[in-house]
Amino acid sequence: MDVILGITTEKEVIVITSRAAVRGVSILKTDDDKTRVVAPHTLLAYTGEAGDTVQFAEYIQANIQLHEMRNTTELSPPAITSFIRTQLATSLRSRKPYNVNVLVAGFDTATDKPELNWIDYLASRVKVPYAAHGYAAYYTLSLLDRWHRTDLTLAEGLEVADMCIAELKKRLPIDFKGVEIKVVDKDGVRTEKVTE
Amino acid sequence: MSDPSSINGGSIVAMAGKDCVAIACDMRLGMQALTVSNDFPKIFQYNNSFIGLTGLGTDVTTLSEVFRYKVNMYNLREERDIEPETFANLVSTTLYEKRFGPYFVGPVVAGINSKSGKPYICGFDLIGCINFAKDFVVGGTSSHQLFGMCESLWEPDLEPEDLFETISQALMNAQDRDALSGWGGIVYVITKDKIVKRLLKTRQD
Amino acid sequence: MVGFSFDNYQRNQFLTAKGYPVPTATATGTTIVGCRFDGGVVIAADTRATEGDIVADKNCEKLHRMSPSIWCAGAGTAADCEFVTQLISSTLELHSMSTGRAPRVVTCLTLLKQHLFKYQGHIGAYLIVAGTDPTGPKLFSIHAHGSTDVGYYLSLGSGSMAAMATLESKWKKSMTKQEAMELCAEAIEAGIWNDLGSGSNVDMCVMEVDKPAVLYRNYRTPNERSTKEKSYVFARGTTAYMSERVRPTVKPLAYDIFEETVSSTGGGESMEIDG
Repeated sequence: MDVILGITTEKEVIVITSRAAVRGVSILKTDDDKTRVVAPHTLLAYTGEAGDTVQFAEYIQANIQLHEMRNTTELSPPAITSFIRTQLATSLRSRKPYNVNVLVAGFDTATDKPELNWIDYLASRVKVPYAAHGYAAYYTLSLLDRWHRTDLTLAEGLEVADMCIAELKKRLPIDFKGVEIKVVDKDGVRTEKVTE
Repeated sequence: MSDPSSINGGSIVAMAGKDCVAIACDMRLGMQALTVSNDFPKIFQYNNSFIGLTGLGTDVTTLSEVFRYKVNMYNLREERDIEPETFANLVSTTLYEKRFGPYFVGPVVAGINSKSGKPYICGFDLIGCINFAKDFVVGGTSSHQLFGMCESLWEPDLEPEDLFETISQALMNAQDRDALSGWGGIVYVITKDKIVKRLLKTRQD
Repeated sequence: MVGFSFDNYQRNQFLTAKGYPVPTATATGTTIVGCRFDGGVVIAADTRATEGDIVADKNCEKLHRMSPSIWCAGAGTAADCEFVTQLISSTLELHSMSTGRAPRVVTCLTLLKQHLFKYQGHIGAYLIVAGTDPTGPKLFSIHAHGSTDVGYYLSLGSGSMAAMATLESKWKKSMTKQEAMELCAEAIEAGIWNDLGSGSNVDMCVMEVDKPAVLYRNYRTPNERSTKEKSYVFARGTTAYMSERVRPTVKPLAYDIFEETVSSTGGGESMEIDG
């Protein structure tokens, strides 16, 4: 029941993740961060099986950072996304595959464009204007279909995000304890807002 | 409904015409009934050979990368472009290598032989059995509907412009009767010296 | 063949465990027969390929060349028939180059059965092997698990019962070539009409002692499609499109030769190339 949501606007990507860490019927934590900054302009948001998620995200983070140190250059969001997909596809063919679904939010400094990629645990990858994983997708994609435009400003994007969050609060049966809203733009990754 | 080759949905069709071939695909990628994207093309070009890959989304991407690697290696080794017939055999052996753990795909190959100028189309099952066809080949979740459309619309020796209409109408009317395909379409019409790619205006439901 | 890759096997088991059934490959519902006659042997097959209950190919080829005078008719999993046949055919060619003799039918049979036995039936190829060699005309059948049979007349595939009914009632000893060809064609037609997995045309291959084998592709075509009475071509401009991109086909790179060096291998003697 984790919420992870990504919305691209004209100049940035907005990433929304729920703050609750849930195990069975218990809420274990109310300030959980379901994202990792893997490169200066790329944010990885994840959901899936407990244990697999953080292990996988930090494995990706470490390898991208290692690559950056070895080559003294930042990898572009599409390159990072391609790497993540390959890792998941390889994992899928192993004895115990990672059960992790991710969103890769990035700002491509070469093209000056924001980019959002959706990847599921089967390693299906697609570049999208907005995306969500899990049950949140069923509630928010219709709203995003209606209100999303490619030329949204940040303020307008955050407004759409608020609509999605309100809908999720209303419809999801378990309290997800608010969200962290992060923004990826030409200046990198920053936390825009944290709600209760 | 829940077999691997129909989780993500998608369809492909290829047709032969007079000194031309056409290959077309839909644009949907879904998770069962939920549509995730309407911008997921399934046709890939390697030199002058085209392949349409339907089935499990992850295998579509993985195989498109495998073929890119293999065709690039072929170009370096042979110092020439790969012909559609050769590429079809490359696809076939690549799939059969995984006979006991297959990729869940239904590929379709189209192209024009650069030496003879002859149109070439063929289809495959998931373990690489080639289906040579003179007329048309289909693949994907709306293959039943496509068979019906092609069987009635296709005729021999269509000119490129007529082939475009025929393949487009076959694809669009087939995918309108398939919940897992649609949300746009791409058509390539290939002649000896020209490749025309068109993005179809289709229903979005 | 270097060997099969089992990379995806565990992943697919994982997918199966999640409740996804494994899709089946093109299993050719088929009728294939073989029959001996005085001085030769003939094999025949129908030309329908099915995927489940749809006809995937209306005119496929089920007769495979193993060597110039040995041919194989295949039933079962289409890809397996194609690849096992290609593999053994190349082994046979290498073998005949190494021995300097034309390959024998029993050699082909043994190679095929040992390969299929090794895979314990997982390679789903059911074959009728026929041909001529210095020991005379030969006719065999092989099942996917590796067992083999010898016979004067044989049938295999989903239409084998229909075909065998014809063979049992009309076969006689020492037939002429023409009689055997007609008998085989009739047996295949029995499959075409009475077995749902078989259909379309009759392919045939005749192998006579000391003569090159002759392939009769579409020996009988009892199901020809009539031409359409009306053209269903849409008027140009019917289909709306949002964008168009025209590109020339990829032209191969022209390679310029900047420098060429020709050097002798020395001594005027030919270089050893196959040492």
